[in-house]
Amino acid sequence: MFERRLYYHIDWALLTAVLALCALGVIMIYSTTADPTRGTSRMYLTQLYAIVIGLGAMVFMLTLDYRTFTDKSHLIYFGLIALLLYVMFFGQVQMGARRWIPLKVFNLQPSEFAKVGVALVLAKFFGENRGTPSWTDLAIGGVLTAIPLGLIAKEPDLGTAVTLIPVFIAVAYLAGMRMRILGMLLLAALLAAPIAWKFALKDYQKSRISTFLDPSQDAKGAGYQQIQARITVGSGGLTGKGFKQGTQGQLRFLPVAHNDFIFSVLAEEQGFAGVLVALGLYLFVILRALEAARLAKDRLGAYLVLGVLASFTFQVVYNVTMSAGLAPVKGLTLPLMSYGGSSMIATLAGFGLVLNVRMRRFTN
Amino acid sequence: MAVPVEDRRRLTSRLSVLQYVITVIFSVLAVGFWALQVVQHAKFEEMAENNHQRTLALRAPRGLVVDRNGRILVENRHSYSISIVREHTKDLNRTIRMLAAVMGLDEAGVRAIVDRHRREPTYRPIVVVQDATLAQVAAVKARRLDFELPDVYVEEVPTRQYPETMGAHLFGYVGEVSDAQVSDQDGLKSGDIVGQSGIEKVYNAMLMGEDGAKRVVVNSVGREIRTLEEDEPTEGKRLQLTIDYDVQKAIEDGFDQLGFNGAAVVLDPGNGDVLGFTSRPAYDPNAFAAGIDRDTWAALTSGEERPLSNRAIQGRYSPGSTFKMAVALAGLEEGIITPDFHAHCAGHANFYGRDFKCWKKGGHGSIDLRHAIEQSCDVYFYTVANMVGVDKINKWATALGLGVKSGIDLPNEVQGLVPSTEWKREKMHEKWYAGETISVGIGQGQVSVTPVSMAVYMSTLANGGTRVTPHLLKAVDDGSGWKDVPAPAPQSTADIDPDKLQAIRDGLWMVVNQAGTGHNAQLKGPDGKPIHDVSGKTGTSQVISNQGKERAGKTEKDLRDNGWFVFFAPRDHPQIAGVVFLEHGVHGANAALVAHHVLDTFFARQDGRPLPPRPTFTPNLKP
Repeated sequence: MFERRLYYHIDWALLTAVLALCALGVIMIYSTTADPTRGTSRMYLTQLYAIVIGLGAMVFMLTLDYRTFTDKSHLIYFGLIALLLYVMFFGQVQMGARRWIPLKVFNLQPSEFAKVGVALVLAKFFGENRGTPSWTDLAIGGVLTAIPLGLIAKEPDLGTAVTLIPVFIAVAYLAGMRMRILGMLLLAALLAAPIAWKFALKDYQKSRISTFLDPSQDAKGAGYQQIQARITVGSGGLTGKGFKQGTQGQLRFLPVAHNDFIFSVLAEEQGFAGVLVALGLYLFVILRALEAARLAKDRLGAYLVLGVLASFTFQVVYNVTMSAGLAPVKGLTLPLMSYGGSSMIATLAGFGLVLNVRMRRFTN
Repeated sequence: MAVPVEDRRRLTSRLSVLQYVITVIFSVLAVGFWALQVVQHAKFEEMAENNHQRTLALRAPRGLVVDRNGRILVENRHSYSISIVREHTKDLNRTIRMLAAVMGLDEAGVRAIVDRHRREPTYRPIVVVQDATLAQVAAVKARRLDFELPDVYVEEVPTRQYPETMGAHLFGYVGEVSDAQVSDQDGLKSGDIVGQSGIEKVYNAMLMGEDGAKRVVVNSVGREIRTLEEDEPTEGKRLQLTIDYDVQKAIEDGFDQLGFNGAAVVLDPGNGDVLGFTSRPAYDPNAFAAGIDRDTWAALTSGEERPLSNRAIQGRYSPGSTFKMAVALAGLEEGIITPDFHAHCAGHANFYGRDFKCWKKGGHGSIDLRHAIEQSCDVYFYTVANMVGVDKINKWATALGLGVKSGIDLPNEVQGLVPSTEWKREKMHEKWYAGETISVGIGQGQVSVTPVSMAVYMSTLANGGTRVTPHLLKAVDDGSGWKDVPAPAPQSTADIDPDKLQAIRDGLWMVVNQAGTGHNAQLKGPDGKPIHDVSGKTGTSQVISNQGKERAGKTEKDLRDNGWFVFFAPRDHPQIAGVVFLEHGVHGANAALVAHHVLDTFFARQDGRPLPPRPTFTPNLKP
């Protein structure tokens, strides 16, 4: 179990950076949800509770050897599939999507945990195979990813579903997938795009993408958020408008400021300086986690770290780009900073696994 | 299971690749933010400000208008207008549809209003409902809390209020500035409320204040969060009119009681102050203050009645017997007759082979000037006119103020006509026949006058020859106290022999106080004796000749005669002069009823008596 010497191998620097981002998130949530006309909202408190629970999950992930989790990964995987199926039939509907299981304290969003589950099962699958993954290996890994992806996409929550793709590609890449195959996959994705456009995407999704390509086409509708995001970020300037002084977020020109667009608000109120600090912290967290993968005792550990890191990185990069109005608006949150309990708990649990791999690099 | 060396090397190199890729991506992101936040900062800062800052106009109230004693005649009240600001409208059609439904308005009507202002800047409010009801205001405000009508604004605006329905043509009315007015006058912008008639129009520049502005912070649904800066509006200048409320009210009450259309103008003969002024039928200026609807406008502008026309300065009528004083003065001043000049009236007389009738069938017998005026003997004035000639009559009528504009400070005054040989040559290219002069002698023929010119005429007779300019503005207060506005200079002054003039005045006095037709205007003291020496003259002018009347037979058209009463008082030191004109009022004696009430009111205040009650007289409708 937890040996005392392991304590000294915990990556405190990574943990500190993660907690710093959480704190930044809470501050920005406090700033955007305090409405001068309605008093302070309690959203920041809810977020603090989620962080505490997330830290508990992280500690739990640390106490057991990561190999224990990968050994049980098939059970975890099937459990998650069961939860996703439950959501599909009994989940709570909010804003037109069936994503949540209502619990007493908060609403559980199983799709957030699917990212960790897929990382575990793929790490185990590719970790057990030696050498370059064969076509069959890739196909099996692909199916393992596609099942939860399909279920989540059906909710519909295309944003979260898509974050599973980087998990598969990253793990397969690290496992030694030939670059030629990677190239072919990318080519296939490009070719599939028009077909997906025609058959798979819903109208609102299409309009979001076409609007992104030309925001002025629908300046008052779908393009509105994108234009507002750019104004929000741009008006922040070098040093920002100050805490709670942002006009775009405070006066609600930017929708869901505490959630999808929290980074825009940070950019508005803390300026380019605040953006550099936050981007620096994220970059530090990602590079430090990659370091953990390099130091991992075995391939399994390295794959696990990368699996967790892949969806995290994808989401950070996408959300930050979208926050500046430089990517189509998608319901993708910014991990560690955006308001949201399930995401926070799942992300911290994921980092528990990353810390675990690094901490146990000398154990057998 | 330990990692083989070869595997480990590949893993490490692939991780390094990821490291570089991610570092590059983050650098690109940082550069992107730098481009937005530092390079393009100014542009986005301006856009953010446009987002949340609004400049709202604060309407300046128009200046108050008070009477010569400080009594309020025209004021302002608060009203709400509901407007659309398109600047941040996402779906204008939806807004129009919802607003029409919420307000209970015709959607096409709202659309028409918006279309009319389509080319104006989008930040300028388009007023859809003026003077909204409280229910409408509440409905919009409730919808705005639900974020349903973020682009609809409720604005509190001062609106013109005329507390009593009197002097409509005098005060005029206000309305939204027309496109032509915007391009004609400096400082006016679309949407401004300006005077469109009456003193509201003439003194618009003084009455209009300067709009202020308020810069506010609004949230995404347009709700005002706080005020950044406020530039208070400046109220328009206050005007004091020469109007005397009590006199004005007496005129209005008199007309209300009689029920005739017509006009009345009452002046201070000493300086031309207009004490009272009306034109009937009137309209309610309040109806214009908050925007007039199509039906009301149509009712006002079409049909026989034409309530918008100001009969006191735009109506031209035959003066009838009231013209006789001008003929008398011409005879006296030209030395052709003296007050003792007698003419013989046999009930008719022959001039140039044509028989001219006197109104009194049996005739007046031998009669002098004073009695000729008192009795209104037609033959006497046929005779004098024939002796004086039309050009001398024209000269003296003009000196008294007839056939020329009075110069009153109201818009669109028209000119009457007193014919002359020159006039006929120029206009008709014909010679004047001496026979035509005979009808002119009793104010018939081509003679036509406006009521206001008749008031000037009586003032000139009252003050001894000074043709005062009737005017309405007495004083102006621009916020630093009242400053008197000097009365405009007289139009002309005639050198009239006081003794000769006195004969005419005596005749006028006799009309009211002896055997004349002006009894109705006589003021009596408590002892039943006449007081204040009211002097005046009735006039009854045909709308159609007697023969024509018979030919027309029974018709819908009102063919009753017009009635005049012109007056001043007291005879020797006149303080008040004026005219009452009744359209189809049958005869001048009916007009004298109104004049009596006006004079009674005017002198009651001077005597310290209580003001007379609202009159209860009825007109005599027998021709």
